[in-house]
Amino acid sequence: MSEHAPRSGSARSIDLEALLADALRPIEPPERLSGRLETTMTKLAEAAERELSDWRDELTESELESLRDPRNWVRPVAAAAVGGIAGSALVLFEVRRRRKSEGFAGVADEIRRRIS
Amino acid sequence: MEEQASRPPGAAEKAELDRAFEDLYRAHLRDVYSYSYYRIGNHHDAEDLTEQTFLQAYRHFERARRESDGRPLRPWLIRIAHNLASNYHRDRSRKPTAALDNIEPPVHPHGTERVAEGRERLREVMEGLTHLPEDRREALIMRFALDMSNREIARALGRTDGATKVLIHRSIRQLEEELASKEAGADE
Repeated sequence: MSEHAPRSGSARSIDLEALLADALRPIEPPERLSGRLETTMTKLAEAAERELSDWRDELTESELESLRDPRNWVRPVAAAAVGGIAGSALVLFEVRRRRKSEGFAGVADEIRRRIS
Repeated sequence: MEEQASRPPGAAEKAELDRAFEDLYRAHLRDVYSYSYYRIGNHHDAEDLTEQTFLQAYRHFERARRESDGRPLRPWLIRIAHNLASNYHRDRSRKPTAALDNIEPPVHPHGTERVAEGRERLREVMEGLTHLPEDRREALIMRFALDMSNREIARALGRTDGATKVLIHRSIRQLEEELASKEAGADE
């Protein structure tokens, strides 16, 4: 408690702090929000993977040649990073959706199985 | 050596990172949502803001974790929500002070006359909050809605611990004076 806001000496201020705690109660997020967030992460992951694969298909021979020059590596590295992050999110949330009832230990095991 | 430090995480590290993010998400979804709701003033946009906060957090999670050096990540998460809320108000040219006007005080389970008085008092507190400068109002939201410590609030707002302590103290004092002057006006 010592880390928290200083309590003023007057009873009035103590009342006000109690009132503030009452007025600014934590708000429970609606249940649909979790599902929505998971769906968004999944879509984002799919889009990132698609983008990465389209980009790979579009490369011409000369572009592939120019990629051998380290000065041109920024784009592929950035794309791979996005794909990697998003792909990982996809695994995480797909598995979660399927195994919600098994708790997080089960989800973690499943993730480990899928990526090993 | 340097090459090893900058290489992307392997499969096992990534799985561990995802689990850590999952824990962060589970632990702080309510905090981020509460903060967003009190900043924005409606559930619909608070959901959007919460979603954006976690998407952005996921994008930078690995680095944040590395740089946090084991310290809790809640202030970082709330700072992301804080920046997004500021963008929200700027983009829509809405005054942040309008957000709390729309919020009704929580309903208590017992419907007595005293409770009705209490609700009126809470409404006055909410109204008083709308008259505070943005940083003071935010500090009070973090302190009372999220039960954050001074140190956490300091990190979320990018201030020193001392400055945050003073900020919260002054916020409460200003609100107190605001309510007192309203009360005096009503008595006249």
